[in-house]
Amino acid sequence: MVELRDVHMRFEEKKVLDGVSLKVEPQERLVIMGQSGSGKSTILRMILGTLRPDSGSIFFKQFEITRLSRRKLQRVRQHIGMVYQYSALLSSRNVRDNVALPLEELTDKSQSEIDKTVDEKLELVGMEDSKDLLPEELSGGMRKRVALARALVLEPELLLLDEPSAGLDPVIASVIDELIISLSEKSKVTSITATHEMGSAFRIATRMAMLYQGKIIEEAEPEKFKHSKNPVVAQFVSGSTEGPILEGSLDAITKK
Amino acid sequence: MANAEPPPVVIAEGIGQLTRYFLREVGSVFWFIVNTFEETFERIQHGRVPFRAASFFRYTERAGVDSVPLVGLVSFFLGLTMALLTGYQLQRFGTERLIPGLVAIAFTRELGPLLTGIMLAARIGAAFTAELGTMQVSEEVEAIEAMGIGPLRFLVAPRMLALVLLMPCLSTVSNIAAIFASSLVCKAYFSIAFPYFLDLVKDSLLIRDIITGILKSFLFGLLIAAIACYRGLTVKGGAAGVGTSTTSSVVTAITAVIGFDTLYNVVYTTFYPT
Repeated sequence: MVELRDVHMRFEEKKVLDGVSLKVEPQERLVIMGQSGSGKSTILRMILGTLRPDSGSIFFKQFEITRLSRRKLQRVRQHIGMVYQYSALLSSRNVRDNVALPLEELTDKSQSEIDKTVDEKLELVGMEDSKDLLPEELSGGMRKRVALARALVLEPELLLLDEPSAGLDPVIASVIDELIISLSEKSKVTSITATHEMGSAFRIATRMAMLYQGKIIEEAEPEKFKHSKNPVVAQFVSGSTEGPILEGSLDAITKK
Repeated sequence: MANAEPPPVVIAEGIGQLTRYFLREVGSVFWFIVNTFEETFERIQHGRVPFRAASFFRYTERAGVDSVPLVGLVSFFLGLTMALLTGYQLQRFGTERLIPGLVAIAFTRELGPLLTGIMLAARIGAAFTAELGTMQVSEEVEAIEAMGIGPLRFLVAPRMLALVLLMPCLSTVSNIAAIFASSLVCKAYFSIAFPYFLDLVKDSLLIRDIITGILKSFLFGLLIAAIACYRGLTVKGGAAGVGTSTTSSVVTAITAVIGFDTLYNVVYTTFYPT
């Protein structure tokens, strides 16, 4: 479904991705873990094509995202849903209009069909009673749910989630996680989640990858990932202050 | 030694860097306009409306209808002052009947579009930049792009079209307000009755003057909208970045309007010297 091949990316002096290669199979729920600023969101943006890598290739199905023209890229993006860390709802539109936007702009559906789909998606995320509210009137969790409804409204094949449970209380975080799982199981949606919330990651993932110093240093199923021998992964999972992460040591990677 | 002048190489280097920056910015705004047109026409080619009429009318109301009091009032006062000051000078030579023509020509051809351009750059240009800049820093623009919606045709095109179409209308408001103000001065101070005033305006004003003013207005509208939207969509650095870009947008748009006006006049007088 998605493949990254030897992707390199640098922001000015800082090397963010240093030869990242990753493969995501259909209906998989991949969770990319890593410290803040490690490049997790960068990977999601590259898959969407809003950011171009310095070198390497990114594939979504048969399309090479890095080589697509603007017009084709826009068409491909209609098959991908993205939930941003801070939701990125359009502040001047109410909940209903935010969710309806992709349908109004990209489909030929009639107003009644649009209303029906919007109601369905809002019901799915439990936000059907907040249709007329503006984003500023919503809590963080509610915004995330609306963002999820908007990402799902075009029935995407791939769902990208950037820190879906960051800043949410544990109950709402679990609701979001359950939603992601049920979408993948019922609607066969493939998802890639970038997070450093341990609980959420282990709940969602069918496979996990650890990004550290621009490289994928571990890729495994959750249970294997939890008991990884890699000192960086082990420290990250345990949340310990002792270990190579704070030292910024590269040895940890080479010892793998 | 503290007052030592910088060596010529440093000055030349500075001029070179400024020129490079200027040309890069001009190129960026030019391609921004081209890409907006391209995205909009692509959509039309697919048989779909490029943006919703409601969104276009919202901007025409903000940029146009809401600007009428400001443009009208400022032009009224300027027309008043212009008629008064030139009238006293012309009166010394007994040629005060030239006032109507002078104000009418000056405003329709030059001051109307220029003043309106400057006022709109400050009022609407700043608003467009701040609005789009805020959307940019809160990832709203990226979210629109991520959905597969072209942000240029969705966000920029309705604003651009509104300003392009509204500028000539507002210039006309400015012209009428200034001419009306000068007619009041002519009546009160120089005993030129209103019907005679109108005859004098009609005698001196050429269709060419009106067309020149309208053409200029269209182009000023395009320029202001393009600069304001470009600055908004290239904001970096959070809230402070929005502030910086808004200031920069107003300064750039006003300078561009005045610079473009000069260029237009040079080209125009080369082909039509009278």
